Amino acid sequence: MRGLQLPLTQTQKVRLQRALEKLESLPSKANSNASVTVADTIPVNYDDGFLKGHGTTELSGEVVATVCGVVERVNKLVYVRTLRARYKPEVGDIIVGRVIEVAPKRWRLDINYSQDAVLMLSSINLPDGIQRRRTAEDELNMRGIFEENDVICAEVRGFQHDGLHLQARSQKYGKLQRGQLLSFPPYLVKRRKQHWHYLEEYGIDLILGCNGFVWVGEHVEAKDEMLVDQADKPDSQTPKTIDYSMSLEGQEQMYTPLETRQNICRIANAIRVLSMLGFIVTVEVVMEVVNLGVSQNMDTHQMLGSEFCVLVAEREAERRSQKKTKG
Amino acid sequence: MVAFDYALKLSNRFYIRMNDLSLGEKLFIQGGIAQDLRSDGRKRLTYRPIYVETGVIPQANGSARVRMGGTDVIASVKAEIGRPSPLQPNKGKVSIYVDCSPTATPMFEGRGAEELSTELSVALQRCLLGGKSGAGAGIDLSSLIVVEGKVCWDLYIDGLVVSSDGNLLDALGAAIKAALSNTGIPRVHIAAEASGEDQPELDISDEEFLQFDTSGVPVIVTLTKVGRHYIVDATSEEESEMSSAISVSINRKGLICGLTKRGGVGLDPSVILDMISVAKHVSEQLIDRLDSEISAAEAVEEE
Repeated sequence: MRGLQLPLTQTQKVRLQRALEKLESLPSKANSNASVTVADTIPVNYDDGFLKGHGTTELSGEVVATVCGVVERVNKLVYVRTLRARYKPEVGDIIVGRVIEVAPKRWRLDINYSQDAVLMLSSINLPDGIQRRRTAEDELNMRGIFEENDVICAEVRGFQHDGLHLQARSQKYGKLQRGQLLSFPPYLVKRRKQHWHYLEEYGIDLILGCNGFVWVGEHVEAKDEMLVDQADKPDSQTPKTIDYSMSLEGQEQMYTPLETRQNICRIANAIRVLSMLGFIVTVEVVMEVVNLGVSQNMDTHQMLGSEFCVLVAEREAERRSQKKTKG
Repeated sequence: MVAFDYALKLSNRFYIRMNDLSLGEKLFIQGGIAQDLRSDGRKRLTYRPIYVETGVIPQANGSARVRMGGTDVIASVKAEIGRPSPLQPNKGKVSIYVDCSPTATPMFEGRGAEELSTELSVALQRCLLGGKSGAGAGIDLSSLIVVEGKVCWDLYIDGLVVSSDGNLLDALGAAIKAALSNTGIPRVHIAAEASGEDQPELDISDEEFLQFDTSGVPVIVTLTKVGRHYIVDATSEEESEMSSAISVSINRKGLICGLTKRGGVGLDPSVILDMISVAKHVSEQLIDRLDSEISAAEAVEEE
């Protein structure tokens, strides 16, 4: 948590300090032998052959860590994984990305990684739902499916010779509209079984991308596979897309209803507070923070103020210490 | 050839990043502004939490750092002895200059930010310094005079944009106001009188400082028009959706000290008058809030 940029009063500073100290004093689950700081010796069995990976170096015959992190061993490879590392994609990760470029037979997406990811035309379900070979006409109509700057939810398929490939084969994946995209450090999202959450009581989709991009938006039903004539495509665009030629009143009718918008903003603010404080973002924690905000009768925008931040920190400290005493 | 293409793509990407929003997101932002519930839950006329620190640059006569959400700016004031201009022998001189640091976005590197810097500097000068004759200035220039016609204080106000998330002009105005209230002008004793064109000898005190009087310094309120509604304190996402924006600088008495309009879309005069009255209404709360933040910051600094 670097430099909380909020006007905190003296009492709030003291409370925040106390909550953070409480959190730091809780023992962590992981084996504490595994964490190292710079210049710590890594315990290795020197008789077996082993490979020195990232974050290690040999210093006067010993293997020494060059970064602060956790020691990982994979077969013979020993390396140090830093905690605040850049996002590293693994096969099967669910991520949220933004289209940067439309290229022949593929889209390039920005996913907060050192390279752009590639989404092939053959890796998505065509809008008309038929499983068929992609024709030249499909290639020409790529912009009709995903345009530049669109936000897309997809899954990592793997590393191929020309980069990182994604796929969006299920009905759940695809273009995301009617909501907002939040971005924060990727180490705050841990890999879980479920990243795509439908919050029924709010009618909201929450997608926690492993790359630190989170989408909060209106719930969209997975479309049934309909047969649509290619020629009718421009007319049968879903009514939810914006049309600048439409009048202002027509646009206003298509806006998200106020109730849903209120919930979207609350959830987004809860995630912003958690990322500002540096806490792990999971659905349970987010819902707790939202309920805390509602129970305090706070206006949505006050959730980003100093008082609420301190409350969240205290609540999190309490929750974790309770978990420790229970389990 | 391949390397050149890659380099071109890289540079294009940074330009795309500035205003990259999908149509769905744009609709969401416009809908929020129309329904009076913006993306972070604020109402149309609510400011983000303002965080003020004073005295961040000890070598300057006065300095302040203001954070409004993601926007982070620093202002510093340096005072030097100089000669007043012969056209205005009873007024000191103030010059304002803003620099945008590349740490805000890569686009600001090299000469990328020149246009934005000039635009901000000119807007601030217009809002705080008034016209060429010095009339209508928010800062009282005649308080900078030491010896009329011969010696005056030159104030150099520098602004630095460290991080940009919209609403730079308001943040810079607030930072300059805070820096000015933090400014201490050394007390000057006239050691020897001089006649005619000679410069009198001066004794500049190192110990005694006079606090600059900032009760007349205006604040700047920027109203951004999106669709049919105006919002205050826009984030950079909301600013990418704007049709036009008006920045008004208003002082404590409710008088307008300066006015700037940005954006290509034409506005009906009645709309402009409406925006000005809304700005005046917002400025009352903003001035009070800023003053309390500034005094809190100075209290912290004294500890």
